[in-house]
Parts: sequence; structure tokens; C-alpha cells
Amino acid sequence: MDRRTFLKIAGMGSLAFASSCTSESDKKLFSLVRAPGDMVTGKANWYASTCRECPAGCGILAKNREGRIVKLEGNPLHPINKGGLCMRGQAALQGLYHPQRLKAPLLKKDDQFQAISFSEAQAILKKRFTGARNQSNKVRLLSETVGSNLMALFGEVLQHLNSDPLTVFEPFAYEALKTANALAYGIDGLPSYHMDQADLLISFGADFLETWLSPVEYARKFKAMHRLHDHHKNAFIHIGPYRSLTGVNADHWIACSSNNAHVVALGILRHALTKGMANQLPESMRQLKNLTAPYTRDRVLQQAKISASGYDRLLGRLDRARSPLILGPGTGDSGQDGLLTHVAVNCLNFSLDPKLQLLDFGRRHRVELAARRSDVQSLFNTLDQDHIELLLINNTNPVYTMASGSGVAEALANSNTFVVCFSNFIDETAALADLILPIRMPLETWDEYGGFEGLTSTLQPTMGALTRAPQLGDILLQTCFGSDHPVQTYKDYLIATLAREHEIGDEFKWMQTLQQGGYFELSPKNSSLQPTPDMDRISDLLTRTPDTTSADLTFQALPSIRFFDGRGANKPWLCEIPDPLQRIAWQTPVAMHPDTAKSRHIQQEDIIDIQSKNGRLKAAVVLSELVVPGLLVMDVGQGHQWQDPKTPVIGLNPLHLLSGTAQPESGGMNLTTSSIEIQKTGHRMKLASTSGSRIQLGRTLALDIKLTDLKHDKTGHNTGLTMGHFPLTLPLKEGYDPKRDVYPPHEHDTYRWGMVVDLDRCIGCNACAAACYAENNIGIVGEERILEGREMGWMSVERYHDPDAMHNLTFLPMMCQHCDNAPCESVCPVYAPHHSKEGLNNQIYNRCIGTRYCVQNCPYKVRRFNWFTWQWPEPLNLQLNPDVTVRSKGVMEKCSFCIQRIKIAHNVAKNENRPIRDGEIKPACVQTCPTRALTFGNLMDLKSKVRRLTTDSRAYQALGYLNTKPAVIYLKKVVQEI
Amino acid sequence: MTQLTYAKIDQTILDTLTPPKRGYWIILVLLLLGTLMGAACWLYQIFVGMGVAGQNNPVAWGTYLINFVFWVGIAHSGTLISAILHLFRAGWRNPIARAAETMTVFAVCIAGLYPFIHLGRVWQVYYMLPIPTQRLLWPNFLSPLMFDVIAISTYLTVSSLFWYTGLLPDLAAIRDRTTGLRHKIFTFLAMGWSGAHEQWRHYTRGYLFFAALATPLVISVHSVVSWDFALGIVPGWHTTIFAPYFVAGAIHSGLAMVLTLMIPLRKLFKYEDIITMEVLQNVAKTIVLTGLIVGLAYGTEYFIAWYSHNSIEMEQFRWRALGDFRWGFYFMVLCNTLAPLLFLFKKIRTTIASLFIISLIVNFGMWWERFVIIVGGVAHGFAPHAWGLYAPTWVEFGIMIGTFCLFFFLFMMFAKHLPSVSMTEMKETVAGGHDHGA
Repeated sequence: MDRRTFLKIAGMGSLAFASSCTSESDKKLFSLVRAPGDMVTGKANWYASTCRECPAGCGILAKNREGRIVKLEGNPLHPINKGGLCMRGQAALQGLYHPQRLKAPLLKKDDQFQAISFSEAQAILKKRFTGARNQSNKVRLLSETVGSNLMALFGEVLQHLNSDPLTVFEPFAYEALKTANALAYGIDGLPSYHMDQADLLISFGADFLETWLSPVEYARKFKAMHRLHDHHKNAFIHIGPYRSLTGVNADHWIACSSNNAHVVALGILRHALTKGMANQLPESMRQLKNLTAPYTRDRVLQQAKISASGYDRLLGRLDRARSPLILGPGTGDSGQDGLLTHVAVNCLNFSLDPKLQLLDFGRRHRVELAARRSDVQSLFNTLDQDHIELLLINNTNPVYTMASGSGVAEALANSNTFVVCFSNFIDETAALADLILPIRMPLETWDEYGGFEGLTSTLQPTMGALTRAPQLGDILLQTCFGSDHPVQTYKDYLIATLAREHEIGDEFKWMQTLQQGGYFELSPKNSSLQPTPDMDRISDLLTRTPDTTSADLTFQALPSIRFFDGRGANKPWLCEIPDPLQRIAWQTPVAMHPDTAKSRHIQQEDIIDIQSKNGRLKAAVVLSELVVPGLLVMDVGQGHQWQDPKTPVIGLNPLHLLSGTAQPESGGMNLTTSSIEIQKTGHRMKLASTSGSRIQLGRTLALDIKLTDLKHDKTGHNTGLTMGHFPLTLPLKEGYDPKRDVYPPHEHDTYRWGMVVDLDRCIGCNACAAACYAENNIGIVGEERILEGREMGWMSVERYHDPDAMHNLTFLPMMCQHCDNAPCESVCPVYAPHHSKEGLNNQIYNRCIGTRYCVQNCPYKVRRFNWFTWQWPEPLNLQLNPDVTVRSKGVMEKCSFCIQRIKIAHNVAKNENRPIRDGEIKPACVQTCPTRALTFGNLMDLKSKVRRLTTDSRAYQALGYLNTKPAVIYLKKVVQEI
Repeated sequence: MTQLTYAKIDQTILDTLTPPKRGYWIILVLLLLGTLMGAACWLYQIFVGMGVAGQNNPVAWGTYLINFVFWVGIAHSGTLISAILHLFRAGWRNPIARAAETMTVFAVCIAGLYPFIHLGRVWQVYYMLPIPTQRLLWPNFLSPLMFDVIAISTYLTVSSLFWYTGLLPDLAAIRDRTTGLRHKIFTFLAMGWSGAHEQWRHYTRGYLFFAALATPLVISVHSVVSWDFALGIVPGWHTTIFAPYFVAGAIHSGLAMVLTLMIPLRKLFKYEDIITMEVLQNVAKTIVLTGLIVGLAYGTEYFIAWYSHNSIEMEQFRWRALGDFRWGFYFMVLCNTLAPLLFLFKKIRTTIASLFIISLIVNFGMWWERFVIIVGGVAHGFAPHAWGLYAPTWVEFGIMIGTFCLFFFLFMMFAKHLPSVSMTEMKETVAGGHDHGA
């Protein structure tokens, strides 16, 4: 090589090397040329709307930042939820931004879906409508529960098409409860309950904290009833073969054998009637006394296998109660036992209070409109018989929720009907449709949905549409009526109806309604009810008691707080947040009592083969004392067969084991089956559990105190140095004592943020955890990583069982304790954990080098390390909160007390030249808590609520004896004997 | 012991520097490949994330820090043998001092690598250096990890200088016997050593003072490493016994490693006359002593856990013996305390095979001791809900194998390029003096 060549190569080489070694290309920020009027960059706009993740219809506020919604919060003005929101509500955003959301309609040709344009899809629909209009009764419409306006439009459409009215389909349609209400009260509907006014609550399994009717509303009302006041607490007794989340919140569990809840209910009814309450009943109902006569104490004890002392104490408590409320079995329990229990419970409520003051038939839950399962089934089974040409399915998935044997899948697959699915995902039902027409999601639409009768709760587009999908109302107005209808858009239709029905005449009132999220000035309804019991049928039912020869094994599918009926199963947050009781994420294990497992030589994590008449499942076993021996319990909601190769199958669907045919008496589905067999497969599966130990070994983590001990409790005046005797040491100067502390206290500047967690109010619903995921851009790690122990949740609602009675448990929301004497701060070599002037333990992400010493030294183990750079598949990244850094691999993170919210409050207060007000800052977890278990505020302010709560005698700090002086103060849970 | 003469010492030791056979090169290439494999694993970890290793919540420290402590421990005996035994005038240390010191230097280098490998963001490691910046950010000198940075770098500096000082006369001896390029290199390395009386006088005094200065380091380095744990509040870590416990453990493992290295070296380089059975016996006897000390420490930990009456501490130690990682605990007790007791039998401590096997057992056991302490404490800490287990992944094994390869690669390079036994000190021994200072 000569000199010139060498120089050439060297020159070119170094140039190429230098130019190709740049890092990522520059990212540019562009401002909008013409921004919408109300948009200020960096400032959130809030739009009031209504949650449509379940039929309850809670009010929500959607936080819109720079044109996209990043967070949902409960609407504090809304009469249903009053600011709280459950985890499913929080996760609604992930439906909106789901990567698998359809962007274009799909038309089935030769068993293959082809993407077509929306105008083509509407043209097809229009042609079908025109064809159907010329004949009579050729169209069917199956819809989820919708608001009255959309329902009226559905009615008009079907009338226009000369067809039968709409069928509302809800997988859990409360058939047994409705039937029992019809029998006992003469109303085939679902009243709301004034649970807050009761002084004794007895439930036969109604899971009102999870899915039943209106969970956020009842969680609030339940805690209003069950709260501690004046050293007194009302009681909640749970009767049933298993304890769901609602069940574990009961003071006492009467564990009865499967299928025998009605025996207990009738026994209690007999007791109430013999106590003379029968005299208050109307003449026609007096025969109940004879009908319940066989349910003597002995029979109840023997048949339901319950303990005598528990039963006697229950009856005693009932006798003393002034306004007891009895609730029947839970969501979807419409079997024979369920129906009988409901009937007995209704008669019992009736005999305890003939005025039924705790039942409000003036505010009936909207979900009562749902058709019975039997009606839905007959709709599908008669498609061919009635020569139905067009079936419209709106946003519901009957193929998944109606078990095999119901014939729904077969009917859809084989009939000649043209099936149109208004769906945003290719779920099981959509996969069998001829046309999938995506529609706007509730957060993008104009609509109205009142969760109970008489409530007007509005929906408005909270952001620009993400896809070109039109609104369902608009599609129907355009394709069905063309220009025949007086209004052209659904928004106009909605305004016209609202103006007509609610006197929202002028623009101002309309804006006010919209801004509030609805029209909440509810006129007190006259709910005086003249019950008209159908005694003939009641006596008929009660005399034909079911065959309760208890089988060896019983299987129960349970609607779950995370997935309800399975509609949110593809949302990563809901899969990632472990279930509240077993603390298992992503998987669907089957829960079994340790005794049952032992007798069959089954161990935890063994995969068993469960076989019923209808199907079989292979599920991993989790041992649980929350079910009676002989019962197997599995959560409903997972195990979807998405017709999308990109979406993996998560978990299992227990509905496969159940019979698809509706129950004859109630018309509903029975989620229990007794004819199952189980077998060990010899395989094992590691459970994706986030919980190491179920018990706390006497450590001062989740503490409780007996109601009777409350008055004499001296914990607040401890002076010792050991775990049980350490005093409460506030993270303030007052908390330092030269006798204990070597280092001087921190100097705080006006504020020292802290939180009080009232364990007595915590129901363990995990709404806080979901809100935290949404607010703080927490990564989703997936099943495999959870198995490795890499879950990222900043807030985890730990649960500790009572080692003496494993079926009792206490929830402990655990997040960074923002210690004043933080073990994490001193060990970091680079000051990445940093104590702020306001007492926050800040984690400086870009200073962190990842030694992980902080988490090693954290006694609460609340720090989370970014083992990888977590992914947000597009467009899920649009949900990310712009106020919070998205962390990349190699740094530690943890709860920040939502410092971004504290900063915003500082800015507002500074602009208004005032200090931050008490209660002005609500971290995401505090905001969403349905029961107000969390309180946040300034500990330095003696008048702040959080400071006043620290003087409660129940106040303690988790592992306080380590002298970390946590800023999270817990209040002990109060337990009581009944 | 056959009579050693100056000439025989020179001959035996300088013979080891003759051009090696093919087998040497093959092994060297294999070790280099192993090292590169470890480096590749580390690169993979840097690009993908720490998650490719097995650490998790709650066990955020895994094999990287286990190996760190393990190698720092190995690094101990070199200075112990060359400095402390030098001060104690234990002449038997002369034949093994050089190799032990070399082992120390290399082991500290390997140990120093591990904190880097352990970091989540190694590319930001300079944050730990006290560089004055505009942002007035300073490292946290309260953090035991900062103590480590200082302690390890001091130890590396001092032990390297000490090693080099001891090498000087030998380098000059090689210089005088070589020609060509090697001569030039050794001329440079020998720094003009001429063997003049004045030079010897300075040298022996200097070596003695150096030994005196290095002695506290033997104690301090591993005490500081132990504070990484003892200053944490984790049950099973937070105890005052850790400093002496770790120092004894470090010497224990270091002596075992000396045996592991010296026995093959003795065989290959035909050092039987120089590294006599007497020397090996003495090492073995010291191992018995250090083994008993660590055994006492194990017992003391249990006693204190019981005596403290702290339920969390008691649960930690119950679980250590009966829980998920109990085999680690059994390994550590069996290998570190009970196995060395076999050296009480003269037959065993004078048989090469048993010496070698027990030295390997002790090394193995000391690795597990670090596993039990580092992983066990946090795996079963304060919050029962957060309890979890840990298992290393293939990336961690890859890096571990890579660093072992690097260590042996360096040691083999040393053995063929520098005198692996100090000719100077051997001659002094033969001359009847015990060391240069005498």
C-alpha cells in the first residue's frame, strides 16, 4: 500500500467512523400551529364522563394532556361513586389505547377477514337494512346495557325495520335476584340498597365490593356502615362456602357447605318468624311460618355443616339489630340454591322490616334491563327458524360468556344470518361475525348512561378520536334512516332527548350538565312500595327443595374484581396487578382447601385435570383456606381465545366447565357445578405470585386490634425500644429523642408530606394499585418476569393471614414510607435517593447508577428496579403521563407520593399567593380509593387531617422499631367478635 | 530436603522461564476464549439490561457481589503471607510469597471488575468519583460502597507496589541472563538495580516498612467489605462481628487458594525442593486455625440471634439452617470448618492429593458462605410478603467462568514470564537468614 492509498483509506475510514457513531437522531418538539381554544401545553383539561366498564356507571373525570387522555379519576360530584373508581375503571384507558384495537372494519370473505373502509362497511349495513325493512321481523339486535337514549334509538331502528325489540345481554344479569324480587315484592327489578343505614349486614355471598350491581358505590356505603365510630362498629357477617374479597371483609364467616346456603337462609327466616316477626307480615305471607318449619336449628347445622356457636351468635346478633339488611348470593349465582336463597333472603328482609326501608325501588339499577339468559339463548337458537337475516351485536361477547352447550357459537357459525359485530377487538364473538364494525369507545363518544333509574349521567368525547371509527348512534342514524330522521347525528339526538326529558333547555344548563358529568339534582322519589308477594310460587319453590346431597367435589366460577365478566381481560394493568386474595398475576389458578388437596395428594402448583359433563380444564392448584373443603373456585374472565396471533392466551376460562343451559326457574346461569372429577396430571406450574409469605410472623406490619380492647389500648404511649413497645415516632422534630437518635432531625420547609392509611377502611380492592400504574408510567413486565420476581408496582396491597385462623386476613397497602430516617438514603454512594426539604424521599433517576443497595436496605421492600427497559407497544405509549419520567433500564424507582401533583399544587398556590390547603393534594391512590382509606397531607400542619389522624390511638408505623420514622402512619384494623 | 545452593535456586527458578511447550499455549488460548466469552456475556447484559441476570426483588444482589467478596477474600492471603508473616519472621513463607502476592494482585483486579458488572448503569459509574462539578454533586461518603471504592483501590495500589518492590532484585537477575528484546524489557523493569550494597540496604529497609504499612490493609480491606453488609439493617447482615469474621474468612479462603495454585505449580515447575512439604504443612495448619475462627463466627451469629430475642433475627437464622437455601449453609459449615479439621491428621496434611482436594473444598465452601450471607439476608428480610428466592442465570455463570478464566490466564502468563518464587528470598533462606530485614 502506498502512502496516498493509506491516507485515503485512513481519511475515509475515520470520517465514516465519526459520522456513523451519533446517538439517536434528534427529537424535535413542534408546537401546534392552531391549538384548540382550551389547550395550554403543560396544563391538563378535565372532561367529565361516565365509566362504561360495567353496568354500574360511575362518574369519571378524564385528564386530557396535549390532546390525549392520560388518566381517569372518579367524579367527586357523581352520586354513584363520589370520586372513587375501581381498578377496572382506571384501566378503561388501556382499552382505548390497546394495540390490538381494530382500525378498520373487517368483512368476512371465504372465512377470511378482509379490511374494508368505513364507508364500504356502512354501505353494506345500509343495503342489509333496506333489504330487511321490506320484510317483517328479520333483524335482531343484541346489546350490552346502554343508556336510555341509545336504547331509544335502538328501539326506533328496530321499529323502522319492523322487527322485535332489542335484547339487552349482560353475562351476569342477576336473574335469580330479579326472579326472587318478582316473587317476594312483585317487582322484576333490582332495587338499590341503603347499605349505609343498616346496623347489621348479613350476606349470602353478594360480592358487592367486587362486581355486584355497583361495586364502588357499595364499597363506599359499606364502609359508611362498617366504619368505626365512638368505639363502636356495625357488623358484617358472611355466609357461604367461600370467602371472596367481599367475604374476607366480613367480621365473621359462617362457612356452609356448597349448595346449602338456602338452608341457612330458611333457618334464619324460621327463627325470625318464630320470634314474632311474622305478625308484621301481610296476611298472605303468614304461611311462610309453616313453610320454614322444617328448617330447625338442628337441620340447618347438620345440612349446612356450620358450627352451632356461629349460628347462635348470628341469630343473637340479628335479634339485637335495629335495622339489619340481608343480601343474597353474589353476581351470577342463579342456580337452584341461589334462587332459593334469594327468595328466603327477600322474605327475611320483608319480615324484619315490612316497610323495606333499606331497599330503594325508586333507584333501580340499570342492569335490571338485561334479558334473562334463557331469552338470549332462545334468540340465538331461533335465528334460523325465524329466518333472521341480520343480527347486530353491540359490544358484547356472548360466545365467551355463554358456556359451551348454550349453542351460541354453533348458531353464529352455522346460521344464514348476516352477523354484524360492533366491536373493537376480534373477540370470540366477533370472530364468528360476517362484518366487524369498530365503533368509537365510550371515552370518545357523546352519550348518556345513568347507572340507576332517574340519574342522568353524560358521556362526552374526552379526546380526539384515535381511529376513524364512527359512533354507533351515528352509524344507525345514517344507515338505517338515511335522511328520513329529523336529526342527523347522535349528538343532536341526545341533546334533543335530554332537553325534552330533563328540561335542559338552554345552552348554559347543557354546558353545566356536561361539565358536571350529568344532572345530579335528584328529585327524592317516592319509593313507597306495596309489595305483592306471589305466595303460590314461593310456597311451590320452598316445598320443592333441591337435591342437596352434597357431592364430593363442587366447582364454582367466580366473577372477578379484575376482569368482571372478562370484558377487560386484554388490559395489561388488570393482568399485571395480582388478584387481591391469592396475589397471583396473569394466571388463573384453581383454589382448593388444603385438606381437600391433602386427601388427594395434591400440592400447591400441581396441575390438575378438572373434568365436568361439559368440558375439561387443566389448572394449577393454589391452596386456600378461604374455601370450604370440597370446593374448587376459579375466577372468571381470562382464557380468551383472541383471534389474533399477536395476543397470547392468558389464563383459563372456567365457564368451559359449566352447563350452558339456563336454569329453569330463574332463567339464569348456574356458576356452580357438582358433577366434576379431578385428577393429578403429574405436571406442575410455577404460580406467578407476588407474595412470599402469607403470614407476618408477629411482626408489626399489618396490625389489628379487637374492638373490645380499643378503649384500653396504650400503644400510642409506648416507650420501649423493642418491636412491640416502640413509640410512634413522627417524621418531624417531635419524633426525635436524643435517647434513641444519634443524628439530628431534618429541617423541613413548611411542609412535611405524610400519609395515613386506615387499615380498618381498606377493603383490599387494589384500585389504588391500578391508579398508581396509570399515574406513574409503571412498566408492565408480564407473567414470565413476575415469575422471576420483577413486578414493578409501586403500591402493593399486601395481605397477611391470621396464623391462628388462616381464613381471616388483613390488607396492608404498602408503598414507599418516605422515612425521615431512611435506610435507603445513607447507603447510596451517589445520593440518588434524596431527602427533600418537604420530607419526600426523592429518587433521582438520572443520578442512579443501579447499585441496588437502597432496595437491599429497605425493610419494606418497596423499591423497584428497572431490570429492563419496559415496552409500551403503540399506541399504549399515548397514555403515558407527561409529568412523570419514563424510566429506562438500570435505575431504581418507587412511590414518589405523586410528586408531580405536589408540584402542580405548589404552582397553583404560589400563583394565588397562599399556602397549599389541606386536602388540596391527592396522590393517585388517595384519589381513587372508594372507601377513603388513605389520607394525604402536611404533617407539620397541626390542623391538617393527616396530622389529626396520627393522634388516633390506633396509629402505628410499620416496623416502627427500626426507627426509620416512616411518614406513612397506619391505623390498626378493628376486628370484632359477633 | 536436598541441599539447596544459590546456583540450584537460580537454575530451578529461571528454568521456568524457558519458552513453553505447546500445551501451555493451548491452555492459554482456551483461557483467553473463556475470558472473551465472559466479556460477551457482560456486553449482552449491558445492552439488554440487568434482567438477564437472576437478581430480582427482594434479592437485588447476586453472584456479582458474591464473587466480588469471594475474590477480595482470595486477595487477602498474599499480603498476609508476604507482609504479616514477613514481620513475624516466619521463614517458611518465603517460597510461596511471590506466587501468593501475584495471586493477590490478580484477585483484586478480578474483584474490582465485579462492582462494575453489578451496576445497573455502568456507563455512569464515574458518578462515584469525587469530581468537582458545576452541579456541586459529591459522592456520599457515608455509603459503605464509597468505603469500598477507596479501600479496594488503596489495596490494589499498595499490593501492586509491594509485589513490584519484592520483584526488583529478581528482575535484575533475569536482566543479566537474557539478551535481545527480553533484555531490554527487563532492563527497563529492573529500574537500574545493580545489587550495590547501598541499594540492598535501602531495599531491605524499604521492604520492611512496606510490610508494616501493608499489614493494616489486610485487616482493613475486608473489614470495609464486611461493612457493605454490617452497615445495612438487613437481618443477618447487621452485626458487629462481621469485620473480624470476614477477615478470618478472607484469610481462610486465600490460604486455600494458595494451596490450590501452589500444588500444581510445584509439580509442573519441579519446585519440590523449594516449596517443601514443610511449607505446605504450615499453610494447612494455618487453614485449621482460620477454619476454627470462621466456625466460631458461625456459632456466634446463632448465639447472638438467640440471645437478642429479636424474632426477625431468629427467623432469619432458623431459615438459614432449615429454609430454601439450607444446602448453602450446610456447604459452608462442612467445607469451611469441618473439612479443614482433617488437617489435624499429619497423614492428610502431608499428602499432596488430600491437601489439594481440601483446598478446593474450602474454596467452594467460602463461595457458599458469601452466598448464604448476601442472598439469604435479603431473601428472608423484614417484610414477609416480599420474601423471594434467587437463582443465577446463564449470563451470571458465563461471567463467573469468564473471570475465573481471566484469573488463571493472568496467572499462567505470570508463571512463564516472571519468577514465580522469589530467588532473593530463597537465597536468604539458604544463607540462614530468615528475611532481608534479619
